[in-house]
Amino acid sequence: MFPASRSAFTRIAGSIFGLAPILALALVAGCATPPPADDPEAVAEWEQINDPLEPLNRDIFEFNRFADTYAIKPAAQGYHDVVPKFGRERIHNFLTNLNSPLIFANDLLQGEGDRAVQTFFRAMINTSFGLLGYADVAAEAGIPAHEEDFGQTLAVWGVGEGPYLMLPIFGPSNPRDVTGLLVEWFADPLDIYLNNVHREWIVYTRGAMSGLDKREGLLDSLDEIERTSLDYYASLRSLYRQHRASEIRNGHDGGSKVPAPSLTGSAEPAHIDELSQQAQ
Amino acid sequence: MISRRFFFAAAAGLLLSLSFGRPAVAGDQDPRAFVVHLADKAMEIMTVKGATDQDRVTKFRILFANDVDIPEISKFVLGRYWRLSSPEQQQEFIRSFEEILVLTWSARFKDYGGDLRHTVTNVSPDGDLGVMVDSLVDRQRQQPIALQWRLRRDGGGGLRVTDLVVEGSSMAITYRSEYAAVIQANGGKVEGLLSALRAKLAELQAGGSSSTKAD
Repeated sequence: MFPASRSAFTRIAGSIFGLAPILALALVAGCATPPPADDPEAVAEWEQINDPLEPLNRDIFEFNRFADTYAIKPAAQGYHDVVPKFGRERIHNFLTNLNSPLIFANDLLQGEGDRAVQTFFRAMINTSFGLLGYADVAAEAGIPAHEEDFGQTLAVWGVGEGPYLMLPIFGPSNPRDVTGLLVEWFADPLDIYLNNVHREWIVYTRGAMSGLDKREGLLDSLDEIERTSLDYYASLRSLYRQHRASEIRNGHDGGSKVPAPSLTGSAEPAHIDELSQQAQ
Repeated sequence: MISRRFFFAAAAGLLLSLSFGRPAVAGDQDPRAFVVHLADKAMEIMTVKGATDQDRVTKFRILFANDVDIPEISKFVLGRYWRLSSPEQQQEFIRSFEEILVLTWSARFKDYGGDLRHTVTNVSPDGDLGVMVDSLVDRQRQQPIALQWRLRRDGGGGLRVTDLVVEGSSMAITYRSEYAAVIQANGGKVEGLLSALRAKLAELQAGGSSSTKAD
C-alpha cells in the first residue's frame, strides 16, 4: 500500500492524475441536486452547507465507518487498554514534539512571530530537558502547545475552504485542507531525512502512531456524538467546519465570528413567554 | 514574557472596568456569577459518585428548565422550518429537543474523574439583550477546554443560556445544521424530523435504563 520511495509515490500520483477524467465522471454522478432557484431560503441553506458531493461523501463516510468499526477503532481501543495513561501521554508528547518543525514553519508563514518563538523554545526545551519530547517540560514552564498546519496557513493567506470533502480514512476535509495535507506530507524535514537514509519504516510507523494517538483521543467524543445524533454525518460536517474556523482564528475574537442565535421564527412573543413559564 | 502578560492582564482589567463600570440595573442577574453557579451545578451532577443515571437525568431536567432557554434555542435550531411548522409541531419539537439535551448531557462526562476546574475569563456584551461569557475548563495535564456561554436577559433581568460554544463549535449551530439535514432527507417535512426524534429518544431511554440495571 505504501510506496517504497518518493519516486514510486510520484509515479502513483502520476497515474492518479491520469485517471482524473474518470474520477471527474464519478464526481458528477455523485452530485447532489441543487434546490430550485425560486426558493431563496433553500438556496441560502444549500450554499451554507456547501456539500455538492454529499451523496459520494456519504458513501465514503459509510466506508470509513466500516473501516473504523472493524480496524481503526479496535486498534485505538486496544492501544487505550494496553498502554497505561502515563505511557500514552509520553507517546503523545513525543509525537507532538516531532511536529515542531512544521508548526514552527506555519507559525512563521502566518506571521505569528510570538507563536513561532513559543514553538521554537518548546522544541528546544522538550527535545533536551524533556528527553526528545518524552516529557512536556515546556508546558509546565508556561509555554503551552499549539497546533498549526498548512491548511490553516492557506486560510490565513485568504484561500477559501471550498466544498466539503470526505476523504477515505482521513475523514472530513475540503480542497484547501487536502492541499495542506499533501504539502506537509512532502515538506516534513524529518520524513525527508528518513526517506533519504532509507528508513521509510520509521516514517510510516510515525504516521500510524499519530493516527492511533488521534483516534484514541477521540474515542469517547465520537461515541457520544454518534450515540446522540440523528444524522452523524451532518453533525460531524458542522462540527468539523466550525472547529477548523476556530483553529484558523487561533481563538482570537472567537465570540464575534459565531453568528448569534436569534429569533428566526414568527411565533408571537406572548406564546413564547407562556412556554417558558410552563417549562419552569 | 511575564511582564508582557501582566501588562495585557492589566489592560484587559482596565477595559473591563470601563465597560462594566456602569451601575447595573437593580435586580439584574450578574452574568459571571450566573455562569460560575451553573457550571458548578452541572459539574457536580456529572461527576458525583454513586448517582444513578435516573438521578442525573432528573437533576439535569430541572437545571435545563431553570437556566436554559429551550424555546428560544428550539426556534433557532429549526430556523426557517419553525415558520413552516404547526403550533403542535413546534410544541412537540421543544419537548423532544429538551429531552435530547437532557439525555445527552446527563451521560456526558459521567465517567470523568472529577478533576475539572472551571474559571470565567471574560464577560462581554452581545447585542442588546445578550451577554457572552468566556470560560476555561482545566483538566489535569491536558489542554484546557475553551467555552463560551451565550446568555440572554429576559424582561425581569434574569439570565438564561441560549448557546454553548465548545472549542469554537456552537452547539445550537451544530443542531441546526444536523436537523436541517434530517428534514431535507425527509423531503423537507418537519414531521420527518419529529419521528426521527421520537425514535432517537426511545433508543436513548432504552440505553439509559439498561445501563442503570447494569449498575
